[in-house]
Amino acid sequence: MAVPPLSISVRNVHIEYELYSDRRAAIAQRLITRTGTGRSVVRAVRGISFDVREGEAVGVIGSNGSGKSTLFSALAGLLAPARGQILVSGEPTLLGVGASLLPRASGYRNIRIGCLALGMSSQEIDARLPELIEFTELGEAIHRPLRTYSSGMRARLHFAIATSVEPKILLIDEGLAVGDRRFRRKSNQRIRGLLDKAGTLMMVTHSLGEIRHTCDRALWIEQGKLVADGEANDVVDAYTEASER
Amino acid sequence: MTATENATALRPLHTQAPVDRYLADMWSRRDFAVAMPVEQIRASHQDTLLGNIWHLGNPMLNVAVYYLVFGLMLNTDRGIRNFILWLTVGVFAYRLTQASVTGGARSISRNQGLLRSLRFPRALLPVSEVISRLLTFGFELGVLAVLAVGTGEGVSRRWLALPFVILVHTMLNLGGAFITARLNDSFRDVEQIVPYMFRLLRYVSGVMFPIERYLDNATTAPYIQRIFNLNPLVDLVNLYRWVFLGLPMELFQVAQLVVVSSLVLMVGFWYFRRAELRYGRS
Repeated sequence: MAVPPLSISVRNVHIEYELYSDRRAAIAQRLITRTGTGRSVVRAVRGISFDVREGEAVGVIGSNGSGKSTLFSALAGLLAPARGQILVSGEPTLLGVGASLLPRASGYRNIRIGCLALGMSSQEIDARLPELIEFTELGEAIHRPLRTYSSGMRARLHFAIATSVEPKILLIDEGLAVGDRRFRRKSNQRIRGLLDKAGTLMMVTHSLGEIRHTCDRALWIEQGKLVADGEANDVVDAYTEASER
Repeated sequence: MTATENATALRPLHTQAPVDRYLADMWSRRDFAVAMPVEQIRASHQDTLLGNIWHLGNPMLNVAVYYLVFGLMLNTDRGIRNFILWLTVGVFAYRLTQASVTGGARSISRNQGLLRSLRFPRALLPVSEVISRLLTFGFELGVLAVLAVGTGEGVSRRWLALPFVILVHTMLNLGGAFITARLNDSFRDVEQIVPYMFRLLRYVSGVMFPIERYLDNATTAPYIQRIFNLNPLVDLVNLYRWVFLGLPMELFQVAQLVVVSSLVLMVGFWYFRRAELRYGRS
């Protein structure tokens, strides 16, 4: 059997970001001592390389602050790497629970605006909206402002938006762990459907069971560097062993 | 199959699209650029008792305040025919630029949630901010029309020029919004400063009293007059007054306005886009 084509290629990627709160101190220091770069930079990802093929489901694990979420922002095209390159075969879609789109607007409006931003037309959205709303199972709550939602409700909404365009590359950052069993079963079905259509999934989660269950491969990241890359169960075993030591 | 063979289908994720592709991408998401302002207008007064009536209430109260101060107390209306309409036209036209550019400054910083979750041409955010202000301006044009008829100015054929006037005006506002949006993304202090800048600029733009009164004497140095005359807001306000009051407007001024507005738009778009990949990361 032929090897499926590559869908993501990450080549020696370094990602840095600036700490906003430090800027004032940095400018002051620069004015007084005339030294320093005037910036306070966090090196979140330090030289990571890997390839992902179509139809693969890859889990990413690592302790808090290891650079997983930063890497995902870059994979979604939202953050540019300081060095290295990321190549993709299609437009990636990121699903995260951290950021809510428009907190003051209703869930209904958020679906509309989210889908519009992803490039769907108004008519397309009108046609798909009933199905998307049904998928979220939010009922009457769909007309309440997003800021009143629980994290599980928000996850359902974001999942519906992110999968509305049938992305070739779906990135999930802790998106499913907050959902209840029923939602997880439903979202898993959608993910399976996506993978069957030669889509690619990458997910960050602290639920190791979810990695074993959903992914066939896992990456272990620590302090911005790749520690292990291999079969999901092997990597999770190694990670569990290391963290219990 | 070798890796290089496979890699042909891949494209770099973090490259800036060429201008034509970028514009095409923006155009294909035009529904988004309109849905955002509608959402914003919906949300902007949702906590107030009178709700959307404030879209009319705010500008009218503004005019009332200026009329009291400049018309009745300071008597700046000496010699100006139909001062109330003259003033209202100036205030509304100036406010559109002020609101667009100040709003543009916040368009990136206030939408971090969107920027961190979804990928789309970032220029759509300042654009939707400008569209949002244009929608409010629609209400104000209604007020102006009623006022023009009510004060005996009547309906004029000059009103047909409004689409052109608004187009030029929007080019200027959009350019300004692009510039402040990027500046404010780098330095959040900008959105604090911009309102004061506009408050100052208002006094030299002939909004509440004609600047000619202060420039038309021999004591003003020619270079100062030249600086004042370059201010596109003066020409813009004059153009609106030509539409509603029939005040003289020279073709030269219109041409200068079109040139300056186009330049501001082009420079603003270029400046904003240069930081495209940086928005939403701080």
